[in-house]
Amino acid sequence: MLKTLKCCAAAAAIVLVTMPVYGADYPNKPVRLIVTAAPGGGEDTEARAIAPFVEKHLKAQVVIENQPGAGGKIAFEKFQNTAPDGYSLITYTFPKSIIIEHQGKTGYKTKDFTPIFAWSRSSQILIVNGETWKTFGEFLKAAKEKPLSGGLSGRGSTTHLMGLIALDELGISKVNWVPYEGSAGSVAALAGKHLDFTMSLATSAVPLIQAGKLRPLLLFSDKRDPYISDVPIPKELGYDMKFIPTLRGVEAPPKTPADIVKILEDAFRKASQEQGFIDIAAKRKMVLEPVGSKEYAKAVADSYPFIAKFQAMLTK
Amino acid sequence: MDVFAQAIGFVLQWQNLAALAGGTFFGIIIGVLPGLGPSAGMALSIPLVMSWHPATALIFMGALYKSSNYGGSLTAILVNTPGDASNAATILDGYPMCQRGMGGVALGISATAALVGGTIGMICLIFAAPFFADFALEFGPAEYFLTAVLALSLIAAVVQGATIKGLIAAGLGLLLSTVGFDVIAGHLRYTFDWAPVEDGIPLIQALVGLFAVTQALVLAESAASISRLAELSGSFWEGARTYFRHPAIMVRSSLLGLFVGILPGVGQSSAGLLAWADAKRVSKHPETFGKGEPVGVLASETATNACMPGDLVCTIALGLPGSVGAAVFLGVMIIFGVVPGPLVFTNKPEVIYSLFAALFLTSFLIFIIGMTLARRLAVVTLLPNNLIVPLILVVSLLGSFAIRNEMYDVIISLAFGALGYVMLKGGFTPIPLLLGLVLGEMVETNYHRALLISGGSYSIFYASVICKVLVLLTILSLVGPYLGPFWKTLTQGEK
Repeated sequence: MLKTLKCCAAAAAIVLVTMPVYGADYPNKPVRLIVTAAPGGGEDTEARAIAPFVEKHLKAQVVIENQPGAGGKIAFEKFQNTAPDGYSLITYTFPKSIIIEHQGKTGYKTKDFTPIFAWSRSSQILIVNGETWKTFGEFLKAAKEKPLSGGLSGRGSTTHLMGLIALDELGISKVNWVPYEGSAGSVAALAGKHLDFTMSLATSAVPLIQAGKLRPLLLFSDKRDPYISDVPIPKELGYDMKFIPTLRGVEAPPKTPADIVKILEDAFRKASQEQGFIDIAAKRKMVLEPVGSKEYAKAVADSYPFIAKFQAMLTK
Repeated sequence: MDVFAQAIGFVLQWQNLAALAGGTFFGIIIGVLPGLGPSAGMALSIPLVMSWHPATALIFMGALYKSSNYGGSLTAILVNTPGDASNAATILDGYPMCQRGMGGVALGISATAALVGGTIGMICLIFAAPFFADFALEFGPAEYFLTAVLALSLIAAVVQGATIKGLIAAGLGLLLSTVGFDVIAGHLRYTFDWAPVEDGIPLIQALVGLFAVTQALVLAESAASISRLAELSGSFWEGARTYFRHPAIMVRSSLLGLFVGILPGVGQSSAGLLAWADAKRVSKHPETFGKGEPVGVLASETATNACMPGDLVCTIALGLPGSVGAAVFLGVMIIFGVVPGPLVFTNKPEVIYSLFAALFLTSFLIFIIGMTLARRLAVVTLLPNNLIVPLILVVSLLGSFAIRNEMYDVIISLAFGALGYVMLKGGFTPIPLLLGLVLGEMVETNYHRALLISGGSYSIFYASVICKVLVLLTILSLVGPYLGPFWKTLTQGEK
């Protein structure tokens, strides 16, 4: 019995070693990492931060290519038809690609892409001016009395989606949403008391929060953010809220073979655990959280019905 | 002030001076190449400076950011191609000066403007950044809307002499500014399912077309050279002397540039245009503007150079970047562990003040480099057209292409080139079109935002003191030109 097992194991080992693996000599040339924004933004900076560490573990050069335009739509449409050979990868802030799909006609589907690995997760926060409401309870009472004006980093952005979900769950009947282009405008308008509150990514407002000019009242996440650890989350206040995971990670074109995905996932996972990368992440106040290929795929699948539910409100 | 003295001592260490000089040179080169702006330059340099001391790295980045604008003015003046959107207004008089053989003088003015505008801007940044940051926060959507309307009222000054054609061009500019994603309603407008314009008409590509391509077409009509006299007259120093003969415009343009820079989201591209239009309005001989008036170059370049420190006010004091370049600079600061915000002046004063000291010195370095290069560079304008036309076309279209690595940007530039050529032949000036294109979105989105906040009540447009002042200034700007003659006839009538 033991002998047969040993034979089987040996046979299996031979098969594994000699089998012509599709990606056997992968990678043997530089890998292109497409950034769907211009140089210098958050997506670009994170891609450039992780690239040298990926090179080390992938043992291949990683070349960053910026393809800005139409919020990433141009890059996504080209990526849909890119050869799935593992030499072209794309990085962006998920789920912006799905939101673009819901805003109009697109020549791509995010669910077709092959998720590889995501290294960081960010959450939205609800912030108010430091001179106004002290607690979330006070804010909620005021919001139910009359419509407040709320800043967004863009119509149809993840902050908009999260705002709509929160409204629904908190029982606030109406908010005058004021869309901006990016978070800088909406955060500045809040600091100048032109708005009552603003929905923003936690990282965008940290300097003004630390200086006491703005006050975060609620973090839309399952767990507290270590960089602003005194901000409560909905669960603690008795709300059962669903969140949109905002992930920064990397995907491969549709139908990328599993063995290539495995090699890439390992390289990115190891890169994200390098001390050099962790140091950069800490400076940028990024919350590092490894999301593997399968988990990433699940996040994509879950986001579709969720975003579709609020689609009507987004395009209204 | 003790901190500042220490900071200057720090900057004068050899490695920091080397970083300063390196950043300045690299910035000028980045600026000269159309399509590559300071943001791309800084992003590309991050790996280079990653292992440096944070303060040294920031000195390099700051010098690069500051000097790229000067690099852009070189190509704007010499070959009618703006290196970046901020140099658009410099072309208007800088290039005609070259045609008259006064390229060296124009370069002297632009280098002096980098020195003076930069220094005035930096003094304000160093001494009053927190104050200006608080002032900027007073500007809500209503104030932004009124500021943009005030800026648009300058079109009245620009179109003097050819009012109808000017207004047609301004209308076209406003119309073009509506192309793309409507931020407020969330719809795509006038894109005809063509993804490249979903973000709006790309400004640099349009500028390259309107100026560089149009100019190449015009030059191709004759076999001469840019300088019609085929010789150079006037020196760099003549430019520097000319500059200081107009102290009023110098102060006006500096303050205007600083003001535009301080407001996040108004941007360097409009600073030069607005200062140019403003200088034309107050000039005793506005008809010379656009035909090689040195004061035009002076106003535009002074304002853009004062704008950059203004742009850094909110970036450093609040952590809120006002432009793409500032956003990249903010990212760079964070990577080096300097988190901008109200606390940065107490947490990291040594880094911030050494950066300020370095930016201060960069202005002088630019002036010295400009002084040495001006004469040699001005020779470009003596090259025969059959050499310079292909050169302008290749460099400018390559710049367009490099922005997104896509052919469609070249198509956009060529289309605007054709438009510019037709406009030129028809006697239209492209400036009102540019003002409309740059300011259109600011007017529209902030109008909607203000009404969303007020729940539809128009009272928000005159509620605050700033609003009232802006309304008053707009009325004065529009009625002013008619008031003067009216007053004259009134007083003369009494005699």
